[in-house]
Amino acid sequence: MLNKFFNWLKGIFGFKKTISLGIYGDVNVGKTTLANRISLDWTGETVGKVSEIPHETRTVQKKERVEIKLKNNKKIVLNILDMPGLATKIDYRTFLKYGLSRAEAKKRAREATEGVIEAIKWLKNVDAVLAVMDASKDPLTQVNITLLGNLEARKIPVIIVANKIDLKKANVKRIKECFPQYPVVGVSALTGRNMDLLYEAIGKYLVKGG
Amino acid sequence: MIKKKLKLKFDFVSSEVLEKKDLKSRINFILSKVKDGSILVTDGTMSPEEEMDLIRETMRRVDDGFPGIEVCSLRKEPKGLRGFLEKISDQSLKIQKIFTGKEPEKRKLKDGITLIGPAKLIKKIKRSPDSFSVLAGI
Repeated sequence: MLNKFFNWLKGIFGFKKTISLGIYGDVNVGKTTLANRISLDWTGETVGKVSEIPHETRTVQKKERVEIKLKNNKKIVLNILDMPGLATKIDYRTFLKYGLSRAEAKKRAREATEGVIEAIKWLKNVDAVLAVMDASKDPLTQVNITLLGNLEARKIPVIIVANKIDLKKANVKRIKECFPQYPVVGVSALTGRNMDLLYEAIGKYLVKGG
Repeated sequence: MIKKKLKLKFDFVSSEVLEKKDLKSRINFILSKVKDGSILVTDGTMSPEEEMDLIRETMRRVDDGFPGIEVCSLRKEPKGLRGFLEKISDQSLKIQKIFTGKEPEKRKLKDGITLIGPAKLIKKIKRSPDSFSVLAGI
């Protein structure tokens, strides 16, 4: 409580140097790839392991004090919080298709449910959010709508990251049409395309006085 | 060979039934229906925070036989005086929460429609900003 108060006070006077940036979104939209890309660009180190098997990230992964430099020479320090993917269902049978044993699949499913709960809990602790969506898929999912509604209710600034623009089916325009009230940046976290635009957007929309 | 009849059960529940319950009982009511295999439809929507609580509680109850839920809500944004009054009501609930440190016991549902069903039965939900279609099967 006291910590929150001091952060609020620091924010008001523009002294807050470090921003806790939560990377949220559906499962397998490329959250860890994005966290890795940001961290690699500015620290040379990765944040977490990437896998095609859903729910690879099952605990919050952190990379602290990532300093990014904007075009106007302003510096921002971020604590990157790569969140487990949000989901309304987790079926252990899904993991069997990827060659996991029944026991491994059940363990993964149990850990994944705990990961979702942890990610929701962390909404109270983030200063800003990158809401990641797969630009090649339908963005009108209940997870995306519920997430954005929660951020709005909590007054947490957000940028929608339309990821995977390297894919043929990617349609950033559709995401912009579905969520016209939010800033949307199309990137490929995998190739690094448009990451410069994302950094400028972070400076513009997520940082007080940015 | 005897063909087994496959059935889907829909429960249409008035928003008033849910509004009479506090948040915990509301979520319990929804999840017990859904865990029993019903697809629940109601003429209202929960707030985004309540929906997040529903997701969190669902995750706590996931097991081998219950992989979770599919949910789709369409909110009708109130306009004019009604919208203004709703904003005031939302703000007063937030103020109440600041002073008491607790979520208000009972909350009115917003105008709209919500469908919640077992993920095992609902194969796909396709939505547009003002409608949705559901593909369900056993």
